[in-house]
Amino acid sequence: MSSTSQQHLRSVMVELHRFMAIAPIGRRNAWLLIGMLLLVVAPHGLLRGDEVRFNEQIRPLLAEYCLECHGPDANRRQGDLRLDIESFAKQSAIVAYSPEKSELSKRIASDDLDVVMPPPDKGKNLNAEQIRQIQQWIREGAKYEGHWAFQKPSAKAIELDRIDSSSAIDQILKERLAAKGLAMSPPVSREQWIRRATFDLIGVPPTWMEVEAFLQDPSEDSYKNVIDRLLDSPRYGERWGRHWLDIARYADTLGGSAIGFTQFPFSYTYRDYVIRAFNSDLPYDRFILEQIAADQLELDENHPALAGLGFLTVGMQFRNRHDTIDDQIDVITRGLQGLTVACARCHDHKFDPISTEDYYSLYAALASSQAPDKLPIIGKSTSDKLEQEYRGSLEKAQSHYDDMARDQSEVMRSRLRMQVGLYLREIANGAPEQDVSTAFLSYRTDDIRPLIMNRWRDYLTKISEEDAVFGPWFRLRKLAVEETAPERFVTRAIELLRGMEKENGEPLKPNQLAQLGTAPPRWNPRVLQSLLAKEPRSLTEVADTYGALFGETHQAWLKGLQGAALEAEPNGEIVPDEDARHSEVNSIVQVQLRRHLYGSDTPTAIPDQQATQLLNRTVSDSLGGKRGAIHNLHLSSAGSPPRAMTLQEDPTFVDFHIFRRGNPVDRGQRVFARYLSVLPQLEPKEFVPGKRRLGLAQAIVSQNNPLTRRVIVNWVWQHHFGNGLIHTPDDLGTRGQPPVQPKLLDYLSETLLHDGWSLKKLHRKIMLSDAYRQSAKEDDRSRAIDPENELFWRMSRRRLDMEAMRDAMLAVSSELDTTMEGKPVDLLAQPAIPRRSIYGFVNRDIVSSLSSTFDGANPNSCTAKRPDTSVPQQTLFALNSEFIQDRASKLASLSMSAVTTEEERVRWLYQRVFSRSPDRDELKVALKYVHSGGESTGITSERANSEAEANWQRLAHVLLASNEFVFVD
Amino acid sequence: MLQQNHRRDFFRSCGMGFGSLALADLLSEPANASRSRTHFPPRAKQVIHIFLNGGVSQVDTFDPKPELTKRGGQMLPFDNLKTERRTGVALPSPFVFKKHGESGIPISDLFPHLSQCADEMTIVRSMYAELPSHEMSLMLMNTGDQRLVRPSIGSWLTWGMGSENQNLPGFVALCPGGLPVGGAGNWRSAFLPGAYQGTLIDTSNKDPSKLIDHLRNTRLSAGQQHEQFELLQSINAKHYAQRPGESALEARIQSFELAYRMQMEATDAFDLNQEPEHILKLYGEGPQNRQLLMARRLVERGVRFVQTWHGNLQPWDSHSNIKVEHRKCANECDQGLAALIIDLKQRGMLDETLILCTGEFGRTPSVEMGQNGSGAAQGRDHNHWGYSLWMAGGGIKKGSIYGATDDFGFRAVENPVSVHDLHATMLHLLGFDHERLTYRYAGRDFRLTDVHGRVIQDLLA
Repeated sequence: MSSTSQQHLRSVMVELHRFMAIAPIGRRNAWLLIGMLLLVVAPHGLLRGDEVRFNEQIRPLLAEYCLECHGPDANRRQGDLRLDIESFAKQSAIVAYSPEKSELSKRIASDDLDVVMPPPDKGKNLNAEQIRQIQQWIREGAKYEGHWAFQKPSAKAIELDRIDSSSAIDQILKERLAAKGLAMSPPVSREQWIRRATFDLIGVPPTWMEVEAFLQDPSEDSYKNVIDRLLDSPRYGERWGRHWLDIARYADTLGGSAIGFTQFPFSYTYRDYVIRAFNSDLPYDRFILEQIAADQLELDENHPALAGLGFLTVGMQFRNRHDTIDDQIDVITRGLQGLTVACARCHDHKFDPISTEDYYSLYAALASSQAPDKLPIIGKSTSDKLEQEYRGSLEKAQSHYDDMARDQSEVMRSRLRMQVGLYLREIANGAPEQDVSTAFLSYRTDDIRPLIMNRWRDYLTKISEEDAVFGPWFRLRKLAVEETAPERFVTRAIELLRGMEKENGEPLKPNQLAQLGTAPPRWNPRVLQSLLAKEPRSLTEVADTYGALFGETHQAWLKGLQGAALEAEPNGEIVPDEDARHSEVNSIVQVQLRRHLYGSDTPTAIPDQQATQLLNRTVSDSLGGKRGAIHNLHLSSAGSPPRAMTLQEDPTFVDFHIFRRGNPVDRGQRVFARYLSVLPQLEPKEFVPGKRRLGLAQAIVSQNNPLTRRVIVNWVWQHHFGNGLIHTPDDLGTRGQPPVQPKLLDYLSETLLHDGWSLKKLHRKIMLSDAYRQSAKEDDRSRAIDPENELFWRMSRRRLDMEAMRDAMLAVSSELDTTMEGKPVDLLAQPAIPRRSIYGFVNRDIVSSLSSTFDGANPNSCTAKRPDTSVPQQTLFALNSEFIQDRASKLASLSMSAVTTEEERVRWLYQRVFSRSPDRDELKVALKYVHSGGESTGITSERANSEAEANWQRLAHVLLASNEFVFVD
Repeated sequence: MLQQNHRRDFFRSCGMGFGSLALADLLSEPANASRSRTHFPPRAKQVIHIFLNGGVSQVDTFDPKPELTKRGGQMLPFDNLKTERRTGVALPSPFVFKKHGESGIPISDLFPHLSQCADEMTIVRSMYAELPSHEMSLMLMNTGDQRLVRPSIGSWLTWGMGSENQNLPGFVALCPGGLPVGGAGNWRSAFLPGAYQGTLIDTSNKDPSKLIDHLRNTRLSAGQQHEQFELLQSINAKHYAQRPGESALEARIQSFELAYRMQMEATDAFDLNQEPEHILKLYGEGPQNRQLLMARRLVERGVRFVQTWHGNLQPWDSHSNIKVEHRKCANECDQGLAALIIDLKQRGMLDETLILCTGEFGRTPSVEMGQNGSGAAQGRDHNHWGYSLWMAGGGIKKGSIYGATDDFGFRAVENPVSVHDLHATMLHLLGFDHERLTYRYAGRDFRLTDVHGRVIQDLLA
């Protein structure tokens, strides 16, 4: 028995004793007690009814104990047995209705260490209750069900929409509670409710005026009015936007100093976009479309919604492009779909029906997109004059960069044309394909560039075997496979080349070489001549010969161009076009060779953007400096206008493959950009090239995709109740926990659809329910039945997160600066910059001490639920930080001028900090403290106008540090 | 019983970072009830990981190569392996090797003090990494993954073992005057809870009270703070009384108690002035030596994992003039390294403390070529193909050498040891089966060693 079950058992035994002590046990009561006992032994079993259900009990057991070796992953599968698919399982391991005949049942219950499953070396064993459940399930027919999350919500849930929604929520919850002998907790006081609602929606406490107005309005509408007021407040977008940024693993730095820069200049435009989206109640489906494919929605080129693409682009920037795409796949699948897909990068998912093919289909949807060279401007900078200055400087910096990039790219290409031999030699020697995404930047002129290497390799597979120049290469390459001995190779090579010479017929005459109209020879004569002269003994020597020939060709072309140019000098000698002196430029033989050096699809004709990544180290460093100057202007110039971190897709990318074991140079089967194949109602179609991300986004918001709305309503619920309806918000797969309230989850997700994906309507429904109005009080009896509060018999008591705590302190000291949007500020600055925390600079390389101390979201990966730790660094902050003491001193001096009597002042402080008035006892204690004055040292004299004020400061500090301030009832 | 249940929750929610075991005492729970996840009795209880960041040259320290001297100035008899930059001819070591102790382990004259402890050490001469890049190799050594964001080994160990001191972080990183390349990524907790990430302490700061954030209140006298604290806790107590059984409230009240006590006690751990004169002398001057003494004070107080960094960025990265550059670095830490071994031994702590001293990779035996093609700078490039590290204490063999590189010290050829093997071996010494120390995140069970690693039995005593 697991230790938690033991705990349950123990606590129930206590209940049992108590019960027996007070009540004579009748037969019914005895059954009740036995029921309670069973419940504690297998809490989930009983909470969900007595019949063993596949999705609720059996599937999680199979996932945890069996599927690693008997599941979807073909490579790990043992004994050719699959238990995740009914037809496979029933071929051998399971005989329905007959556990005695079922191998599965025998193996899990066996005492023989060689027979028992799971094997003992796995270190996890089924307990007796779990074995019993599996056997019972087989006895009842071993019925499989489709995984709940992939099924469309039942029609029943939708009917509920006819009744008033908030009461529908309560109706569903109360039914379940009543069935377990539980009831909702009594409602909280109005003071507590408005404080809870205000923190929930806008992340700061209510002002005392707001509390009073609410207390004085006894109408039932008063609750709705408060919610409406809060939803209309611009602070709402700042609060819920921050929640969303957790999902989006938002940060203002690139991570890993990958490209030499550390900071994104425009990440803030995504943050501001998110805030605006929440404030304007942008329908959630539209929100997703814009975040994945704003550039493919036919918006104006400067449309502010383009900033939504930051969802994909503000992630960690890896050196390796495949990792960047993996991060995008993870944020989309875990964040929006509640599926863990990233593990299918290397192998089929072990537990869920997600294959590597699925993974690389998403990869294909994303990998053809890159950030454009110049990001679109989506707004104005703060001043026209500054923006003009910025534009002037940018133009200068840009032309410095462009000039050097253009010239050095030309130099690069010119050198690559002299180095064909270097690359052919590598191919001749059988060097393996290289993964260019991790290529190093430290080159010298004669270093092989992996990118060019791969381009040559691809090129030679694409051109015809009958190509005039490379035809001999292809034939000699075949020969090299047959003949490895140099003597035999050279003899047969010469034979072969002579044969090709014969196929050419009569050699061209010199005057034909200057004629533009001369018909091309079948095999390039210069190639044949050079090879025959060389008498190559291996393919390597063939490569050298080609290299030398291409080198000569390039040099001759440069000279030919020079000559041709000089004719055009004012006093130059005009040479007729058909003159023999033009034979170099006009010769068809040379043209054949040059095609492979200058043609637009040739390996050496790389675009500037790629050439600049291959430059020698010193040149590359210098060019990097010029790029850095542009970057710094974007980042630091006061006149730099906001830009969207967009993407653009290259529709010509079509060739996508599975990378076997995640290795990009080990290509498997070809794949197409499409959605996952897990949803029975959503047939995966290939996305249209050029709009692949839009296709992906549309599949996500499709009505046939039930994951999206289940994930979002669960997320909203979780932020209102502390716990979601699903406890693993980013894993709705088979290893996640199934929902305890499937009906409510489905009800909410279907009403979201009815309400046009409006999140504000969803908030309203949830917050007007009795469930939301419940007190957070603990209750031993209820706890014994439902220790995790999975059925919501109370509100969970929540600690303010890092942002709400900081903002709330600034709010009660009246310092909170409500300026919205713009470049990030330093949250650790002293004296504090009193902007809302969402505007704080997020550094993913060095996570700020504030964030790591107070469980801030991990900026490197999608966070669906923050951890909740309690460590002394948090309380040290409350005791000693400058921040809290500065707020306290501001609060105290406000109180000095706001009210005159001491008693009023205590009352004023309590109302402001706790949204309630102090009781008589609290008044007395506070007054006693400020009168005792502490030990007089004069230390505080700089900050307080008087000894008395110093005492009030310390009292205010206590209130801000107290549990009542940081925990919401 | 029900109360017990709450306590366990409370215990679970705060059983991290700054010492959970003492909290357990507070609750009269058996100290290791739900905290330690060890799979078998550990040989070592704590780790001091000395990081000589930048890349220590193996052929100049622990892996003498007579062939290199013999062929100085000539091309190696094989193509130079590809490293970050182009390298040229064989560059003989400018340092002199001698055999030391009864074990006769050769160590160069860069480490005259450390050489005296040869009989306590095991040298691994056949380490290798994946790429000649500082950042990636640092991440590999610290997190087991050179590309993706993963928890560091110190985070894994503090998560797995807990800390034995309530007043100190379980995982401390010491670095004088700055950050190594890769910064806090080297000691991050990634998906493990934030409380398990390393706490960085800048050891160039000599004022012990400034080493932990908010450790002292600069505005209140002790008496004022005491009175204020009493008021705070009485207000909290009343609030809690109205909300009985709420473990999160109780946890924060206890946390205030701990924080209040820590203000005094945590400072002590970092206060080297409390050490007697002869110990200060034993370790010697300078931040690198002093932080090794600090490391001893920390493990003595139950800190689980202490990492000491040689300094800002990459001090050992001697691309040029290795004779002067390596000498300077070695001089800064040699005395402290020896003192640490001697000191731990004389306190009877060496057996339970695993010392690991390594860089992220080694350096080429061939000379680094400048951009103009000359090798005049007399330095060495990064070399991930083969390098040396040493270990001592905590269940490690004494006075032995494991593995070998080729005749020139370029590539590990005999018994090559990957970083995953090293991690698996370290976890083994600390009582963990590296394949079973897993953490479920985003639907996967993650391991420090991912799908790699094997315990090198020959390193174990």
